[in-house]
Amino acid sequence: MNRLKTVGYHVSMGLVSFLWIAPILWVIVISFRSFDDVAANGLGSLPHSFTLSTYKQAWEDADEFRALINSLLVTIPAVLLSLGLASMAAYGLARYNIPFRRTVLLLMLMGNLLPPQILLIPISRFVELIGYYDTLIALIAVHVGFGLGFYTFVLHGFMRDLPREIQEAATIDGAGPGKIYASVILPLTRPAMAALGALSFTWIFNDLLWSITVIRSGEKMPVTPALLGLQGLFVSSWNVIAAGTVIAAVPTVAVFLRFQKHFVGGLAIGAVK
Amino acid sequence: MTGLAADRRTFLKGLGVLGAAALVPGCATTAPSPGSGASSGATGELSLQSNLSAQQAKGAMEKLVAAYNKTGGAQVKLNTVASEIYRTQLPTYLTSANPPDVYTWYAGSVADSYAKKGLLLDVSSVWEGLGNYPKAMQTLSTSSNGEKIFVPTSYYWWGMFYRKSNFAKWGVTPPKTWEEFLAVCKTIQSKGVPPIGIGLGDTPWVASAWFDYLNIRINGAPFHRDLLAGRGRFDDPKVKAVFTKWQEALPYFDPKGKSFPFQEATSALLGGKTGMFLIGTFFADSAPKDALDDIDFFQFPIIDPAVPVAEEAPTDGYFASKKAKDPEGVKKFMTWLATAEAQEIYVQSSSGTAIPANPDGKSADTPLVKKGKAMIEGAAELTQFFNRDSSDALQPTADAALTKFLDKPDQIDKILKDWQAAAQKVFNA
Repeated sequence: MNRLKTVGYHVSMGLVSFLWIAPILWVIVISFRSFDDVAANGLGSLPHSFTLSTYKQAWEDADEFRALINSLLVTIPAVLLSLGLASMAAYGLARYNIPFRRTVLLLMLMGNLLPPQILLIPISRFVELIGYYDTLIALIAVHVGFGLGFYTFVLHGFMRDLPREIQEAATIDGAGPGKIYASVILPLTRPAMAALGALSFTWIFNDLLWSITVIRSGEKMPVTPALLGLQGLFVSSWNVIAAGTVIAAVPTVAVFLRFQKHFVGGLAIGAVK
Repeated sequence: MTGLAADRRTFLKGLGVLGAAALVPGCATTAPSPGSGASSGATGELSLQSNLSAQQAKGAMEKLVAAYNKTGGAQVKLNTVASEIYRTQLPTYLTSANPPDVYTWYAGSVADSYAKKGLLLDVSSVWEGLGNYPKAMQTLSTSSNGEKIFVPTSYYWWGMFYRKSNFAKWGVTPPKTWEEFLAVCKTIQSKGVPPIGIGLGDTPWVASAWFDYLNIRINGAPFHRDLLAGRGRFDDPKVKAVFTKWQEALPYFDPKGKSFPFQEATSALLGGKTGMFLIGTFFADSAPKDALDDIDFFQFPIIDPAVPVAEEAPTDGYFASKKAKDPEGVKKFMTWLATAEAQEIYVQSSSGTAIPANPDGKSADTPLVKKGKAMIEGAAELTQFFNRDSSDALQPTADAALTKFLDKPDQIDKILKDWQAAAQKVFNA
C-alpha cells in the first residue's frame, strides 16, 4: 500500500513537472529546427530537421553579444546599487528610532502599488529633460528607483528581527552606526540579500518596458528588445527567435543556480518568527 | 558527482568574472555627456529611424544607406528598432525634444494624423521632381492641409493566393466573379479541404482584409475611405450588406483559422490543408523556397461590375520630423530615396515581392510580381489597408467586431451597433 502511494506520488509529480517544463522543451526543440521545416510543417509538429545555424543566426542578426553586454552593464550595477541603497535605508529604518519611519516605509510601499505603465511618459520626458535619454545610465537609474521601495521593505522586515543584543554588544565594543552596518548587520542579512539579488537580477535582466521607454538606439538596446528585433514586420523566424531566447536565458539561469540555496532559504526566512 | 558540481562552480565563477569584466568598461562607455541623443545634430549626420528589423529587410536598408553615404553630402546613420517597439514608440520619437530626422512609415491617413499635429516636415520641394509618380501616390502623400509630407518608395499587393498544383489536382480554375468564387469553394470543400484559409490568433487584423475588399467591391473605394475616416457610420445598411455577402462565404472558412496566427495559416495553405488565402505578399517570406514557384494568386472576385475596381496596395516610404536639424540635407536624402535607382537597391535585396513606387523602378522579374504589378496598375482606385486608411486606434475596434462576426454571424446588427459606438469613441478622442 505504502509502496503504491510512493509510486503514485512520483508518477503524478513527474507528470506535473513535465507540464511545467514542456514549454521550455518545446522552445529548445524549435530552436534546432530549420526555417523550411517550421514553415512547411508548422510550429507544433515534430522536428523533421536538425540545425545549429539558428544559434549562429540569432547571435549575429540580433547582435546578441552586444545586447547581452548591454543587459549586464545595466543589470549588475542596478542590482548592486539598489541592494546597497536599500540595505542602508532598511538598516536605518529598522534599527533606529527615526521620526516618521513608518510613514517613510509606507510611502515606499505605496510607490510599488502604482502600476509602472502610468509612469512611462513622465519618465521618458523627465529623462529627456535631464539629458540622459537614450543612455544606459538612465535605465540603471530607473531600475534602482523602482526596485528600492520593495527591497527596502523586505530587508526592513528581515533586519528588524535580528536580535537587539548583537547591536548592543557591538555598541559597547565601540562600533558606530556605520561600523555596525558594515560588520554586523550586513553579514547577517546575507541570505536575504542573496535571495533578493537573484530575484532583482531576473527582474531587471528580463525587463522590456523600461528599456524601450528610455532607449532609442538599436545598439544600446539590452537583450530583451534585441530578441523582439528578431521578429519581422509580418513574418518571424520562430526557430531563430527560440535560439535567441535560449541564449538570453543563460545568464539568469546561471545566477539562479548560483543563488539557488539562498533563494529557497531566503523565502523561508520570514515564515517562522 | 563532485566533479560535476565543481565544474558547475568553475563555470559560474567564469561567468562572474565575465560579468565583472563587463562592468569595468561599462563605467567608461555609459558615462554620457548630457544632451547627446541618438541623433547628433552637430556632426552633420542624419539619423534614419527604421522599423525594418527582419533580417532581409534590415540588410537591404543597410545597403541602401551605404549607397547614399557614398554619394557625398550629409552622412546617414541607420538605427533599426524592432518593428513592434517602433509601432508603439513612434509618437514618442516624433514628439521628443531631439527627434530622429527621417522615419520609415506608411502613406495615407496614418501619416496625415502626425501631420495634423504639426510633427512632419513639408517635403513639397522633393515632389517637384516626382512628376512621373501616379496620381494616387501623390494624393496619399499629401496632408489634409495640402502639404506633401511623405515620400513613397515601395508598395505591395493583396490577393487570393493558392498553390497551382493543388488547384490542378482539384480541377478548379481561378474564379473572376463572386458566383464563380463560391462554386470553386464548393468544389474544394467536396474534396475534404477547407477552401478558405485564415489566421486570426495573434493576428486578428488579417480579417480586415476581407472587410476592406468586400466593402470596396460592393460600395466602392470612396465610401470605404469616408467610412474609415469617420465620415460614415458602421451601422449603415450599406455596411450591413458587406456582412450579408460575407455570410455566403463563411461556411467555407477554415474552422481552425481562429486559433493560429497568419504565419501558421501560410503553412496550412502550403501544406494543402486549405485551398486559398487572402493575404498580402509579405506572407511569401514565410514560405519555404521550394514552394515559392508553385504559388499564384487571383484578384479578389468582382461582386458588382458597376463599381470601379479598387485594389489594396499598402504603400511604404518615409517622412521626416519637423524638428529635423538639417531640413535641406533631409530633403536631399528623401529626393534620392525617391529615385528609381535607390528603390531598386532596396527592392532587390529585400524579400523581392515589394514593387518600387517610382514607375521607372524595376521590380523583381518573376511572373508573380509582374502579375501583381499589372493588377495594381489596372485598378481604378487604390486603398491602403484598414489601419492605414484609418488609424492604429481604429484597428482594434475592427478586430473586435470582425472576430465576433466570425464567431456569431447571426448577430450582425448588434455587432455593427457596438462597432459604431467603439469607433465613435476613437473619432471623438
